[in-house]
Amino acid sequence: MLPIVEFKGVTRAYGSRVALDDVHLALAPGELTFLVGPSGAGKTTLLKLINREIRPSTGEVWVDGIPAHSLKASRVAELRRRVGVVFQDYKLLPRLTAMENVAFALKVGDLRISDHEASDRALDALEAVGLGDRGDSFPHQLSGGQQQRVAIARAMVLQPPVLIADEPTGNLDLETAWQITDLLEDIAAFGIAVLVATHNVEIVTRLQRRVLTLVQGRLVRDQPAGAIGRMAWLASS
Amino acid sequence: MAGVIVKGRFPRRRTLQTVLANVLRYLFVGAARNWIRNIGSMAPALGSMTVLLLMSGMVGLIGFALHNLEQVEAGQASLLHVYMRDDAVPADVITLMNRLEHDSRVASVTYVSKGDAFARAQRIPGLPQLAGASDSNPFPASLDVQVKNINDIAAVNTLVKYNVVTDPVNPTSYDSGAYQRIQAVLFGAAVAGAAFLALLAFVAITVTINSVRAAIHARRDEVTIMQLVGAPRWMVRGPFVVEGAITGGLAGVVAGLVTFGLTASGIAAGPGSFSQFAPGVTVTIAALAAAIVFATGLGLGSGSSLVSLRRHLES
Repeated sequence: MLPIVEFKGVTRAYGSRVALDDVHLALAPGELTFLVGPSGAGKTTLLKLINREIRPSTGEVWVDGIPAHSLKASRVAELRRRVGVVFQDYKLLPRLTAMENVAFALKVGDLRISDHEASDRALDALEAVGLGDRGDSFPHQLSGGQQQRVAIARAMVLQPPVLIADEPTGNLDLETAWQITDLLEDIAAFGIAVLVATHNVEIVTRLQRRVLTLVQGRLVRDQPAGAIGRMAWLASS
Repeated sequence: MAGVIVKGRFPRRRTLQTVLANVLRYLFVGAARNWIRNIGSMAPALGSMTVLLLMSGMVGLIGFALHNLEQVEAGQASLLHVYMRDDAVPADVITLMNRLEHDSRVASVTYVSKGDAFARAQRIPGLPQLAGASDSNPFPASLDVQVKNINDIAAVNTLVKYNVVTDPVNPTSYDSGAYQRIQAVLFGAAVAGAAFLALLAFVAITVTINSVRAAIHARRDEVTIMQLVGAPRWMVRGPFVVEGAITGGLAGVVAGLVTFGLTASGIAAGPGSFSQFAPGVTVTIAALAAAIVFATGLGLGSGSSLVSLRRHLES
């Protein structure tokens, strides 16, 4: 199967500090992959390269056939519509309801979508994450787990082939974290490549999915799904 | 069963309508809503830009009037009045006229009698009282000599001032440095006006750039989310440009209306004196100046926003 995300010898430096060092990796459609490593290992940098928030210093980043490493600023939006993003702090707009937050992503991503269609599709996405009845709620009226579900619905409403999540369970209790992880598994089951940066050891070890381990910017281990990683403790450090 | 005619819009047309409605909403409605929400941070920009545009409008009209004045002065400076002595013999006057008419440097020669000179003086503001104060007519007859090139006026003056018919005390209206002095004063006024406007423009643009920067920071989260969900650059940046244009446009409307109102009031209050002090400035010119002020406001506001976006909003 052709990879949907591919890193070829990617190095990213901030001045003299090397955040990522000669990383090679490939993510396949439908694959749920965890990205672990100590703080400052380069996890967020790697995610930002996929979304073209930053460019690599050297090497190539390919996302759904688009060369993110050499993409012109005018074409970045096209790439980002193919990459759903979920953050630890949800990044919902506080003055919009849950449904409007999801519809907002849909409408700014595609001008051909009418208000009516956007509302319908946003509600469908909210129902898919189990919040069909909370569409009219504002973010401050929702729990952390519910806000993260809204954020996932927003990331998925354009049906991108790739979903990246930066510490999506970082602010949640374990039970809610498992619910969010279940949701990410479901999304991957629909053929979407999901890459989750996390510090949650329990989830990483129990799910037995592919684990990429970064240490000081280097990809030191690429553990396939089903294998129990001896280095899983790195996720918690 | 007969076929059912379904009434419906052509899908492509409906898509176009949706796109247009969305563009309109994101660019203009959204920008207007944000502008109202951020009116506190935009107020300094609005104020400084209004002052700038008002000053520009007024300085522009004054500049236009001064330009016209210079043209009038240039025309008057190349017109030499050769004053006749009261006892000048008509035949000698005619001889001088003929001589001047055949001079290649002279465009025209007109004889102005004492009566014509008196009538002309009465049309000049302030002079009718002076003209009427004396029982006799104090204004001499003259030859009005229009010289083709203002640089030849000194030579023509030399030619006529010792003529037998010329008044020995006050022979001509020639003033060697008059025109140059007027030009120097006008140039000085233009430089001072331009410097003043440049300073005001710098202040207004700086304030607007900072206001837009404040607006960008106030909506940092919204901008970030728009960028992350793949909003095109024009959709992220466009509303800020429109907000700048709204600020500039409003400032332009206020400044344009004030410029037009002041000028129209001046013309209505004293059309004769106004045209003396500001030659060529009419109601039409004032309306044109107001329109230019408005357009300048739009350009300045949106331009300042663009500069601010380039500096403060990464893609």
